[in-house]
Amino acid sequence: MTLGFGDYLSLLGGESLLTGLVMVMVLLGLYLKNKNIQGYLALAGLAVALILTIGADRTMGPIFFGTMEVDPLSQFFKLVFISVSLIVVLAGLSRYKDSPSQDEFYILLLLATIGMMVVASSIDILTLWVGFELASLSTYAMAAFDKEKKNLEAAMKYFIFGATSSAAMLFGFSLLYGLTGTTKIAEIAAASIETMGPATLVALIFVVAGFGFKMALVPFHMWAPDTYEGAPTVVTAFLAAGSKKMGFVAAFKVILIALMALRLEWFMAFAVLVAITMTLGNVVAIWQKSVKRMLAYSSVAYAGYIAIAFVVVGAANNGGFDIAVAQGGLAASLMLILGHAFSKTGAFIAVAVVGYMALREGKDNPDDIEHYAGLGRRAPITAFCMLVFIFSLSGIPPTAGFIGKLLVWGSTIDSGLIWLGVLFALNSALSLYYYLRVIMYMYMKEPAGAKIIEPRGYVAAMVVALVAVFYIGLFPQAFVDFAYSAAAVLLH
Amino acid sequence: MSGEMVAVDYYIPLIMFLIIGALVPIGALAAVKIISPQKSTFRKRSTYEGGLRPIRDAGVQYNVQYYLFAIVFVIFDVEVLFLYPWIYVYASEAIPAVGGVSIAITGMLIFIVVLLIGLLYDIKKEALRWV
Repeated sequence: MTLGFGDYLSLLGGESLLTGLVMVMVLLGLYLKNKNIQGYLALAGLAVALILTIGADRTMGPIFFGTMEVDPLSQFFKLVFISVSLIVVLAGLSRYKDSPSQDEFYILLLLATIGMMVVASSIDILTLWVGFELASLSTYAMAAFDKEKKNLEAAMKYFIFGATSSAAMLFGFSLLYGLTGTTKIAEIAAASIETMGPATLVALIFVVAGFGFKMALVPFHMWAPDTYEGAPTVVTAFLAAGSKKMGFVAAFKVILIALMALRLEWFMAFAVLVAITMTLGNVVAIWQKSVKRMLAYSSVAYAGYIAIAFVVVGAANNGGFDIAVAQGGLAASLMLILGHAFSKTGAFIAVAVVGYMALREGKDNPDDIEHYAGLGRRAPITAFCMLVFIFSLSGIPPTAGFIGKLLVWGSTIDSGLIWLGVLFALNSALSLYYYLRVIMYMYMKEPAGAKIIEPRGYVAAMVVALVAVFYIGLFPQAFVDFAYSAAAVLLH
Repeated sequence: MSGEMVAVDYYIPLIMFLIIGALVPIGALAAVKIISPQKSTFRKRSTYEGGLRPIRDAGVQYNVQYYLFAIVFVIFDVEVLFLYPWIYVYASEAIPAVGGVSIAITGMLIFIVVLLIGLLYDIKKEALRWV
């Protein structure tokens, strides 16, 4: 069947709209004197893209000569990416108000979002790589956006690690293409199952290394804390909540198929990697004095939690394929991604508010935990939002994070990996220690200064994230169903 | 290993070429090291053994503006690169028109307009003005 332009527009409406908007914004930025309108344009575009993405027909099958597909999985991730972008734009309205280069911030943010959406939809390794690079290149520039010394260091580390891992990934892809003669992920999987050789293994290791970087799995996590700490805080929110999830959707598409193809006890290697990732992230987070760095390490730990899905699928595949367990594990991971996206974005924006406050008072290390003393009285909205995000991150009901953690924990038990479930629960308990310390500072210490006026954009961003966290926590059924149908796409 | 060739097998000559290619210079250098007399003098260690005197440091600074020009150049280089296969596809009519609109032409138009916007951006931001 040949599709017309109208069909493509309705299927990829969000992407088309945002791409057009970027072009308009580039031109407007050249001629406008007052650029504050650009942020509102980006906001409106993202809101409409969100609606278009929800409304897109998910049953159409492959489009663009079999390189992209609009299915529940892609739409689930696009939802996450657009929402995170939306919240970051809201925060940007305050952060970059009256800044002469603010249009470039929104343009880069939108371009990165488009790249992620392409990755979510692609079913072909080359399309996937192009989307991956679009998102990566935009975020490299964003990490250095304020042009301070710390930003440049963060961006440089991010760029060097990113470029190397992209090269590794592309090399892996080229080997896969050489071995199978196709770039379609499904055909690669089928061909790899037939002729499994040492070269396939080498290719997969390169691909895993490439994705592992974006996901910040140990041992590819080294860049993450430095970059997250050094980048402008609103950008960090986007990196931790958006860019990282892109690594996961790409990994779900490629690595899962590989794991199923291998039919070996390979998942045990992944299990060890996951166990190390979450434990290391949590243990190192305890020692951090900078809240931003602490959240960065907790993000590493979360990468471990989310990657449990790979292990669960591997375990379900061990001797006969238990599709229900595998689907449960994937859906749990998706719910965790959803919860983490909103809670982490919100938490980093709360950090941005405190950093803004500390900088105005002339303090030199704006992310230090000392500045959180008495935040409950100095900035009540920020403190309350931070409290909820921290509850969500540590998995306390009724928040989105709780649903995700509960499902992941259940999936480890279902798949018979009791030790991993126990380790996961222990890690969650461990994380409470450093999360609660922030709450203790915010509500039990004497305020370190006078009450401040919280910038409206930041507040709006945090409230949107807060509502999402509570809504998913209180009415999870629709989201869980969505996650299950998304998981089914990977397993058919 | 049965007789059938898989894609990787075609690379075996290349791999052999790489190995031999790496061994030859190493062997040559090793042979020189072993056979030749090792008498190091001032003249021998200078940059040009022929007697020319090096005049200054080897690190020469280029103007950073070359970098921007190079980037803009690469963009249009890639455009040409895309246009060639497009011409082939267009001429062979491999991509049909849908509803009276040629997808090939529309696609290329969008691509060129996107590049044009980029060029406009470069010009307005004075990336192409030599200072």
